[in-house]
Formats: sequence, C-alpha cells, structure tokens
Amino acid sequence: MAKKEYDVLIVGSGHSGGMAANILTKQGLSCLMLNAGPEADYTRDRVNKAVHELPFRGFGKPGRLEHVYQANEYNANQWVDEKENPYTHDPAKPYNWVRVRLLGGRSLFWARQSFRLSDFEFKAAEIDGGGDSWPISLADLDPFYSRVEGIFRVSGRKEGWPQFPDGNFIESTYPPDSKTIQTVTDLCKQRKFGVSKMRSSAGQNGLASSINLLLPDAVATGRLDVVANAIVREITLDKDTGKASGAHFVDRHSKREMHVKAKVVVLAAGCLETTRLMLNSGIANSSGMLGHYLHDQIYGVSVVASVPEARDGKAPQGLMGGSAFLPRFRNLNKGEKRNFIKGYCAIIGSGGSAQPNHFAAYGEELQQKLDHYAGSCVAGSIYGERVPRFENHVRINRNVVDAWGIPALHIDVKDSDNELNMAKDSADTMEELFRTAGWEIISKTDKFYPPGYSIHEVGTARMGDNPKTSVLNKWCQSHDIKNLVVVDGASFVTCGWQNPTMTILALSMRASEHLVSEMKNGAV
Amino acid sequence: MAATPAVPALLAQNPVPAAAPGVGRAGGRGGAPTDPPKIPLADAGETSEGGRKFFTAGQFATLKKLGSILLPPLKGNIGAGDCDSAEFLDFLVGASPADRQLLYRNGLNGLEAQARRQFAKAFAELDAKQADAILKPLLTQVPWVYDLPKDPMKRFMYQVHADIRTATRNSPEAAAALANSGRRGAGGGGLYWNPIDPV
Repeated sequence: MAKKEYDVLIVGSGHSGGMAANILTKQGLSCLMLNAGPEADYTRDRVNKAVHELPFRGFGKPGRLEHVYQANEYNANQWVDEKENPYTHDPAKPYNWVRVRLLGGRSLFWARQSFRLSDFEFKAAEIDGGGDSWPISLADLDPFYSRVEGIFRVSGRKEGWPQFPDGNFIESTYPPDSKTIQTVTDLCKQRKFGVSKMRSSAGQNGLASSINLLLPDAVATGRLDVVANAIVREITLDKDTGKASGAHFVDRHSKREMHVKAKVVVLAAGCLETTRLMLNSGIANSSGMLGHYLHDQIYGVSVVASVPEARDGKAPQGLMGGSAFLPRFRNLNKGEKRNFIKGYCAIIGSGGSAQPNHFAAYGEELQQKLDHYAGSCVAGSIYGERVPRFENHVRINRNVVDAWGIPALHIDVKDSDNELNMAKDSADTMEELFRTAGWEIISKTDKFYPPGYSIHEVGTARMGDNPKTSVLNKWCQSHDIKNLVVVDGASFVTCGWQNPTMTILALSMRASEHLVSEMKNGAV
Repeated sequence: MAATPAVPALLAQNPVPAAAPGVGRAGGRGGAPTDPPKIPLADAGETSEGGRKFFTAGQFATLKKLGSILLPPLKGNIGAGDCDSAEFLDFLVGASPADRQLLYRNGLNGLEAQARRQFAKAFAELDAKQADAILKPLLTQVPWVYDLPKDPMKRFMYQVHADIRTATRNSPEAAAALANSGRRGAGGGGLYWNPIDPV
C-alpha cells in the first residue's frame, strides 16, 4: 500500500520533469518525482586523472558503450550502462540510444544550443508534406519560449528570419569576425544564405540544468519529494475509472518492488523511456501510433579546407578564428526544386588543424603535413532534419529484459534517400563555398552518424487533434487517459534541425500550466 | 517449545568477554582509530612491466616494427618505440571484441606474409625502404572515421596507425617527456567520473 497519495507523480528529472515540478509545485500541487538513477556528487564522484593513469589510457574499456560515440574513458560512468539497460536493433539498422539516468538526466551534460522551432516545422504538412503538422503553431508556444529563454539565459543575435525565430535573449556581444569568417559571410550573402551566431543557454554558475535552474525552486515550495534509484516498471490504472492511479517501481539497489499513488501521472523520462513505459504498461494506444514516428537529426558531414595564407604558422592577426552559424537556408521558398525536403543548418569554424586521418601518410611525412596545415583550417558540419515516418518505430522486445526484469525496447529505424540527398547537398554546398574562397579542400565527406546519435530523439507519442492518428492532444495529455500527461520529446510531430531542448521546456511549461487549470476545474 | 528453555542456560555459559585494555567506545580515549593513516600507493605501470598475452612472438615483433616506422621520435616528442605502446596494444586488443582481435591478427600476419613474399625476410627485419614499399600502398585518407576502408589490410593499416599514435601520446613516458620539456601537448588529463552509486 502506498503511504500517501500525491497530486502528481512525475517520472523523470531532466529538463521536462524539472519544468513540470517547478510549475506544478508553485501552483500548490504536491508532487513526487521518481528518478531511475542516483544523484551525482560532483565533488565525491569526480577526480582529476592524467590520461596515462586511466586503466585503458584513454581508449576506454573495449566493448563498453558501443552505441555512445560521445563516451570516452573520462565520462564513461555518467552514461547508462548498456548491459544493465539493454535495447535491441537489427545490426543492419544501427541506432544509437544515448541515455543518462542520473538525477537531472541529460540536462546535466547537454551542449546548450538553444533554438525555437519555426512554423516551417510546426506546419510541415502545409510546407513540404514531410510529416504532419503540429496541432499548435509558433504563436501558441511563443510566450512559453520567452519565459524558458529567460530562465535559461539564452544568448543570441536577433535576425528577424522566419526559419530562425528570435527569442528573449540576454545581452550578447560578439568579437569582430576574423577575415575568414567574413569571407564565408560575404559568400553566403551572395547566395542568400543567412549567417548568424550560435544561440546558447548560459544558465547559472556554469550549469543550465534541471538541477540548478528548475528543481531548487520546486524543492523550496516544500511540495516536492524526490526519490532517486527508483525504476518505474508500470503505470497503474484504476480498474473502475481507467484513469492513471500511480506506478509500480523497483528500487535500483535492492530490486524491492514499491508502489506510489497519485491523482495525475506526468511522464518525463525522455522520449524513448516514456514510450517504453507506456508500451510495457499497455496503455494510451487506442490509435496504434504509440512507438511510431521516431526521428531525430542527422549529425555529421564534414568539409575541411585550408587557408593558404595561414599555413606553416604564418597566419596574420585577425585572419583565422571564430565561427559562423547558418540556420536553415534550403527549401524555404515555394517552388524550390530539390531532391530532398526540409533543411539543415551549418556550423563553420575557423582556426582548427588537419588531423592524421586526413592524409594517407605516416612518420615524418605525416608530421610535416600536420605542421604545414596546423591552425590553417576552416571546417563545416551540419545538423539536418530527418523526416518522421510511421515505419520508424520502437516496440517491446519481450525476449530481452534489463537488470530489473523490465522488458527492453527494440528500435527499428532506417534512413531514406531524403537524408542521403540532404547530406550530399550540404557537403557540396560547403565545398563550393570554400573553393570559391580560394581554400584548398583537405577532406570532404557526406557521411553522417546513425539515427539517435544526436541525442535529440523525439516522436513515438506524437500530439495531434485526431485521436486516431495521435497519442496526445495539443496539451500533451493522452487522448485515452486524461490524467496522463507526457511532457518530454515524445510528443513531437516534427523535429526540425534545431536542438529540441527549448521546445521540450516550453511544451512542458505549457502542458503543466494547462494541467493545473484542468485540475482546478475538475476536468482531470 | 522444547528448545526455548535451554536458551538462558546456554547464554549463561558464554560470558561476555572483558574489554581489552585500552579499548573503549569508538572514538574515545584509547579507542580504535577512526581515521587510519593514508598509505601512499605506487602506480603499477611505474613498478612493473606489462606481460604479453595476446599476440604471438612473431606478431608482436611485427607490431613493434610497425610502431617504429609509423611513429618515430619527431619534433622532440617520443616515438612508439620509446614507450610500451606495443605492449599496451597487446593488452588492449586482447581485451577487445573478436572483430578487433581478428583485424589485428590478420593484419599483422598479412604484413609478415607480404614481407616474406617480397623480400624473403620477416617484417621486423625490413629496412625503411622495404617497409615503405609494403605499407604505403595500404595507406588511404579516411574522411569519416566511422566509415573505414572496406579492404581489410587498408582497414587494419588505418586502425593500427591510429591506435599506435594514441597509445604513444597517452603513455606515461610521453607525459614525462612533455613535463620535462615544459611544453603543453597531447595526452593531458581531465576530470574522471568514478562509478556513481554502483549497484
């Protein structure tokens, strides 16, 4: 028997769960937050080590975290252990599912890039037919974006472009561009590509996480209890009303089964864990859409060029350095005929060096090349929008369970020609820019990482107005179970090229405030 | 129950031992120390040699020769031969999944076979020009390190070159050489996450 009934059970403590806790507790609701992993102690759990002191001297333990390309031997223990928490996929369809179960989740380690989605993403069906439109638009989310940007202290330069909506930015200053970046900017302007600066969350005291920006205020209300090491196994339903009534969870250490009661359940475990939980619970899927339309962004593509005047260490002051950010510039105009829909952003940096893999050489010859090109490089890469497809989905694999006996996910995702053609266009475009600038192309590839690598997976419980084709309504409530709300990235209909964090936070804030009013009205 | 009445009698036969002299409550005067002295520890790598376990003697000799060719001492930095990079890779590959082990074994055996065919001697005995004649055709640019050459020997060549560079750069000998030179360089250090509340 649960000891007390909370107003709201929140599963997950990352950005979306933290925002839900922040809003709901301030509005007077008692909340229990369950987090699957422990709380990290930055002082106790980290120690300075020279690389040669590591057991595998920086290579990392072989075979560990094979799907987490972001892992290295220093940070290996921050990621979810893939043997304790397995998932499956067809070897021919690799999927990189990157997870953090520490209190605060991936909000502890994200790269801070902070963008709004635009109506090119919200109204995808009308724009390019690649995916359905969201049941909301930028105008619906605008006030929430602004409040989130204020909390996270987002820096950025206002541009007034519809594909790159401006936000509520802190005062941001940028040093003058180097000559190479100015050259890129001038060439882009000739081609009508907008060039801006990266937008990023400054946060507070070096952190822009749930644990420093959202949870402390929630805890201060006295209405939030947080339990760590609590792995939720199943959402329970009231057998009479069919409403969510709480959850069964397993203690991570002892494996003891526990139960909690709540009037409302908010799922914020991250897109795939949330959907896994709903699938394992057998709930919220009258549409048949649960698990489908999993998508994220293509990351990768690389073009590296060398500026002749900067070689052999001879770069004059002001030639190299800095960066340019090109928000989406493809398929913005009706009638634009390309062999792909949607678009990508490009990040161009100046002042780097060539790497050994760029040359078919070794020994003294390789060292001479590395010295020759050191500091003379301009490099570009992209983030591109994947098209959401019904057939890209997750389901439960009953043959595989995690260390707590909970069935694992099977992930089935494959890229299409759209992604391949988009990547090729981006590599060719950057190559053309660099060649026109008079720079020597050292390396070019249109390859990109497997699906999931971006750590921006979204979809699988998408929102929509039609309960037959969506799992959630526009307030992130389950169509089937009104007191079940999903506030993480599972609700997305399209992902854009943009980091989804600001959108996840804004949706969670909006959904939480709506939930409060629904609870006050007795509608939930 | 029959056993229960015997219990007080049994307990009476086991007097509580008297406290040893000087032993009282924990932390009290004469009590057990709560903060034992910290014993300084030596690094295993500084006191001992790594044992070779995975490669055969011939494969290991080929690997050592490869290291000396691919990464000789340059620009004041140590080369692969100045540290235990080959020994370390023997350990690392031995601890690796089967595909990496096969890549290395086949690669090293392939180089040995080529040396015998072309120059009638072991790879480890080739001079620089002979080694170049075998190795240079195996080199290829790799723009995307997650898309390695399909040809197994070229794939091996890329991988062993990258691994020798990393093993050398991250060795204690390289760190010592950099420290002695006063230069900043590769390898370095950082904040290592210990296991966090492990099960």
